Amino acid sequence: MNVELTDLRRRFGRTEAVAGVSLQAGPGVFGLLGPNGAGKTSLLRMMATVLAPSSGRMELLGRDPGDHADRREIRRRLGYLPQSLGYYPGFTVSEFVEYFALLKDMPPAKVPGAVASAVERCGLSDRARSKLRSLSGGMLRRVGIAQAIVNDPELLLLDEPTAGLDPEQRMAFRALLREIGGRATVVVSTHLVEDVGAACTEVTLMNQGKIVFHGTPAQLTARGEGSGAAGDAPLERGYSAVLSEARA
Amino acid sequence: MIATGAPASRAPAGWRPAAPSILRLWWIEFRRSPMPLILPLIAVLFWFDSYRPSASQAPLYPLVTFWNMGQGHTIIDFAPFVAGMAAWTGARDGRRGTGDLVAATARPRWVAQLATWAATTTWALAAYLVFVGVMFAAYAHRGVQGEPPWWWVAVGVTGVATFTAAGFALGVLIPNRFVAPIAAFAAFLAMALSSKIGFSDGSGWALILPTDSTGNFQQDSGIFYRYLPDLPIARMMFLAGITVAVLGLAGLPPAAGGRRLRMAAVGVTAAGLAATGAAVGLATTARLTPHGIDIPALHDAASDRLIAYTPVCAGSGIRVCLNPAYKSYLTDTTAALTAVARDVAGLPGAPVRAVQSPAAYSTGGQSGQPMTISGQPPVLSVPLGAYWFLPGNSGFNPPVPVQMYDQSIWLVFLQAFVGAGTGPGTPPEQAVRAALLQSMGVPFAAQNGLLADTYLTQALSAPASTPVYAAAKRLAALPDAARHAWLATHLVALRAGRLTLAQVP
Repeated sequence: MNVELTDLRRRFGRTEAVAGVSLQAGPGVFGLLGPNGAGKTSLLRMMATVLAPSSGRMELLGRDPGDHADRREIRRRLGYLPQSLGYYPGFTVSEFVEYFALLKDMPPAKVPGAVASAVERCGLSDRARSKLRSLSGGMLRRVGIAQAIVNDPELLLLDEPTAGLDPEQRMAFRALLREIGGRATVVVSTHLVEDVGAACTEVTLMNQGKIVFHGTPAQLTARGEGSGAAGDAPLERGYSAVLSEARA
Repeated sequence: MIATGAPASRAPAGWRPAAPSILRLWWIEFRRSPMPLILPLIAVLFWFDSYRPSASQAPLYPLVTFWNMGQGHTIIDFAPFVAGMAAWTGARDGRRGTGDLVAATARPRWVAQLATWAATTTWALAAYLVFVGVMFAAYAHRGVQGEPPWWWVAVGVTGVATFTAAGFALGVLIPNRFVAPIAAFAAFLAMALSSKIGFSDGSGWALILPTDSTGNFQQDSGIFYRYLPDLPIARMMFLAGITVAVLGLAGLPPAAGGRRLRMAAVGVTAAGLAATGAAVGLATTARLTPHGIDIPALHDAASDRLIAYTPVCAGSGIRVCLNPAYKSYLTDTTAALTAVARDVAGLPGAPVRAVQSPAAYSTGGQSGQPMTISGQPPVLSVPLGAYWFLPGNSGFNPPVPVQMYDQSIWLVFLQAFVGAGTGPGTPPEQAVRAALLQSMGVPFAAQNGLLADTYLTQALSAPASTPVYAAAKRLAALPDAARHAWLATHLVALRAGRLTLAQVP
């Protein structure tokens, strides 16, 4: 298993953002759904080794992120796209991606090829020399994805990756997720249920810091059948039905 | 369009061969550093504050660089701006919201930040060296003589690095958009304080401040003797210590790296502080010597050796030989000395030759060093570098007209001739000096002003008393031959202090 979480908790003052999450994940694409404030971003930040858990046990890529040497090794093999992508406006696309390739301790000889590949896979080859300040929001999001995949990660954590992408880009992105998910663990936090349906092999639904559903997209769809829950699509109705149950 | 498929391994055209990661990080940061944006502003300030004030100085390196190097104005011009820009860069992750992104990477944050600092500092140092280089090239074009104060350039380079480090560390520790102006203001305040202390405190720990010119930047440094490197070395140690310490501080936060790395940062900080403390300790052992500040633990006796030179000479009545750095003064100095030497020719102790001697520094500046006459035949020793009334770059323009230069030379010559030394002299010596000056064409009424203007010593600048001038008028009223005869017979007694005012005819 690339991800093993046991009773993971994270508290911010009196608020428990993540309230005892246990999860296991191997290769594949995992969708993380939930309303605002459900704890998805906090969970992803902990899995990205950015945020230390308040309690519980976490093992990533077979290593303990609490140990410095292990954490460094995890980070070498990790790709992470935060919800809010900060960037250096004076850098070009290639420089930004290369910068993160270097920060991820990639062997210098492999960096140029990896950067070119990541930029190309995100459809940014023609803008590789453009300054980030000149890019649109959707393009910036793709730059964020490019830096996340530049090291060919075994664990890829994407927080709202499709925000700002046009429908065509979103479809291509889903294909990319499926392709990466064939060999790595991809965790995608999103509000867009159709992304989960199209790209994810498993889906986890969080509410108030807890996992209230874990299964396949088909199982989630089934939960909505005949429930009378709100939603334009079957998966959305499943999502609404699970949430309604959890809140009840 | 986002594409699927196996990752491509080929590199596009234009990619360079793989360089060590840290060098590539540095290169990316260097290319995208915001530091160049501030350089035009520094250039303008540098022009007005560092270069322009030197333009009116006599064309000698210790004089033209006294303000910008000795009193550290090149560092003052850089410090607030580079500190502010470095703070802006250091605070980048906080301002740009890239904290999570960089925190999730394997390379210790501190190491990456050091690469960022190095790139920022490279710009600042390159700019400093270019600006100073251009300034020195302008000096060379003007024919400025002597050796440039390279040790002080090295101090300036270290100082600029210190301010970028301090600003950067502040930005890392307080990563918000307000830290840049705060760092700039703090740097300005530090330099203002350093300047104030440098002006008022010329010994002890204050000598370590790069704006303290006391005793280490002298008229004949780089001309007769080398700039003593003792104090610059201590200052570089002081500034480098601060640089290392503040960069170490940037490695202390938990986000900077692992426990071992942060322990190393503690060690680096401690080492920097130790170097800084040691440098301050060394400064307190400094002592003023005639050729600069000597720090016993750092002093190399080889630094005391005079610089060999072949003098340039002129004149026939009195042969005047100067250091070639003072070649531009040879004609005027020879003319002035020839005139006054002619007036006393044939009298006991009248010099037949004048040789330039190195100016010696003392507390309070170059003042207080007289001409001396010694040997047989008598030779006049002229510490030309000790006199502030040398004409400027463009010659005898105001405020140093040729008449004033001549009269000042005569006054200092006659001070030596009557044997008054560095003090005001005895009343009879003052009277004879005044009478001889009057015979050279300097009216009594103008002499007090000349004394005050020349102010070779505080004592010399004290105006002579009325009885002195009464005696001087009696002597000056004598026919030239009679005055000459009286001097021929009484000069020895006058110099020995055995005459009274009443004995002056």
